[in-house]
Amino acid sequence: MSKKILKLLVVHTYMAMLTVPILFMIVWYFMTATFNSYTGSFSLDNFAFMFGPIESMGIKLPAIWPIVLNTLVYSFTIVMIEVLISVPAAYAFSRLDFKGKRNAMKFLFIMRSFPGVTLIIATFFILVKMNLVDTYLGIILVAITGSLPGHVYIMKGFFDEVPWDLEWAAMTDGCSRFRAFRKVILPAVKPGIGAIAIFSFLGAYGEWFLFKLLIFSDTRLIIGGYIAKLITEENVIVDYGLISALGLFYTLPVILFYIFSQKIFMKVNIGGSKGV
Amino acid sequence: MFILPFALLTLTFFILPAIATVWMSFTDLDVKMKPNFIGLENYIRIFQDYSLGEILQNTIVYAVASLGFVLLLSLIIAISTQYFMKGKTVATGYRVLWLIPSLFPSVVFAIFWKYIFDPTENGFLNKIGMHLGAVDEPVSWITRYAMPIVILGTVVGSVSSNVILLSSSINSIPEDLYKAARVDGAGEKSIILKIILPTLRWPLMYITITTLIGFVSSYFFIMLLTDGGPMHDSTTLALYSYQQAFQLKYYGYGAAISMFVVVIALALTLVLLRLFDFDALVQPSRIEE
Repeated sequence: MSKKILKLLVVHTYMAMLTVPILFMIVWYFMTATFNSYTGSFSLDNFAFMFGPIESMGIKLPAIWPIVLNTLVYSFTIVMIEVLISVPAAYAFSRLDFKGKRNAMKFLFIMRSFPGVTLIIATFFILVKMNLVDTYLGIILVAITGSLPGHVYIMKGFFDEVPWDLEWAAMTDGCSRFRAFRKVILPAVKPGIGAIAIFSFLGAYGEWFLFKLLIFSDTRLIIGGYIAKLITEENVIVDYGLISALGLFYTLPVILFYIFSQKIFMKVNIGGSKGV
Repeated sequence: MFILPFALLTLTFFILPAIATVWMSFTDLDVKMKPNFIGLENYIRIFQDYSLGEILQNTIVYAVASLGFVLLLSLIIAISTQYFMKGKTVATGYRVLWLIPSLFPSVVFAIFWKYIFDPTENGFLNKIGMHLGAVDEPVSWITRYAMPIVILGTVVGSVSSNVILLSSSINSIPEDLYKAARVDGAGEKSIILKIILPTLRWPLMYITITTLIGFVSSYFFIMLLTDGGPMHDSTTLALYSYQQAFQLKYYGYGAAISMFVVVIALALTLVLLRLFDFDALVQPSRIEE
């Protein structure tokens, strides 16, 4: 028995050692953001950026709320378009027979594992030709195309799991194909739609690279692009308090959103299986 | 038709760029935006580029080392939380903690590493080092150890998604199998080697291929942390193509390097697929059915 305890002790020790840095990271964010670095006492001065434009140690921050608004508009637009495009596409891939389906499937698979970043130079050139550089339309189209194949694939899996009989039953009862899709299939794949909506939201919310590349005006940045600009412009970050406060302000909603969405996921799952 | 929007988007922003990349790699497209066809010149230039050797070496070190550590760490965490501490609250705790780096937006995650290795006395390592008297003056860690730092950050950031995948596979092993093995006198070592690892073969293959392609072709995190510096010390091939295209405005040359990256990624995938299949032939898994 003592051997078992020893073994568990060993496992716990190295797991704890591996996890300490991460704990440290989390604690560090909160500490740096909420303590004044000079006096060492608790203060929320670092969050002053929430109440208007500020200037601290040479860093000029514009008002944050327009940027937050940009972020939300950008993320929700992406979520909506992505769901609207990928759900029908996945349905077609899963259910319909069309010419060249096999090749299309193969292509989807290749596209999903293809390193899309390598195409960014040509994409940039095409956007220049289409006059879409420095516009939201351009960046949204590029971002969506990048993540779409993966999401169509996930969605297809959800459609595949809905039994054919369900659809047939609906159609024998007098539903048109479209009505069957809307009334019967769609409710059954709700968790899938939730999943891709969450994935695309998280992806869009964390985006910074495309903004660095394709958006030139500061007023159109989202938070991610904005922080990226702050931390890559200079070699050294001067005011960690401010930056980590900004980072925390940016991250906390994601964490909350994640916890919240986990709960929804479970509910939807239960509801779905009851219905089927 | 249902897939029309999808097909249109794919056409304009995937197939078209793919063709354009190939085409651009044969031109001298630069900031003037007037492409001239120059044949293979860009490709010849790649092999004459005096920094190519260093960058290729960086790419290999970065991809292989990161992959190795990611696999090792994910395996350790997945096996300890899902086998040794199966069903315990602590295990969930560990896994949730490891999930956090991947939940952090990458820009925020990068701030932390910038703080740890900050070259002024504000940085964590410098503070500790100076407090303990190990270093007399602030050390510029990033200048000295650019590559290891980049690898460390990448590994910590990409472990968690793999842990999830591996954990769920380990979870699918029936408890009876362990019991049966123990009755037959198997130790922990042989349980891990003969039961758990064979089960993980396919997830491991998936992880190896996708993360390797990711490390070879993407450069976001390096860009945030060191931007490839100092000099080319932490520049990988993919980052180099970005720099050539968007910082020096040699779009044609950048595209040629991108093509090179794609070829490498493709070759790696094929080789790995072969390798894993070969393994499958040699050592058939015991609990596949």
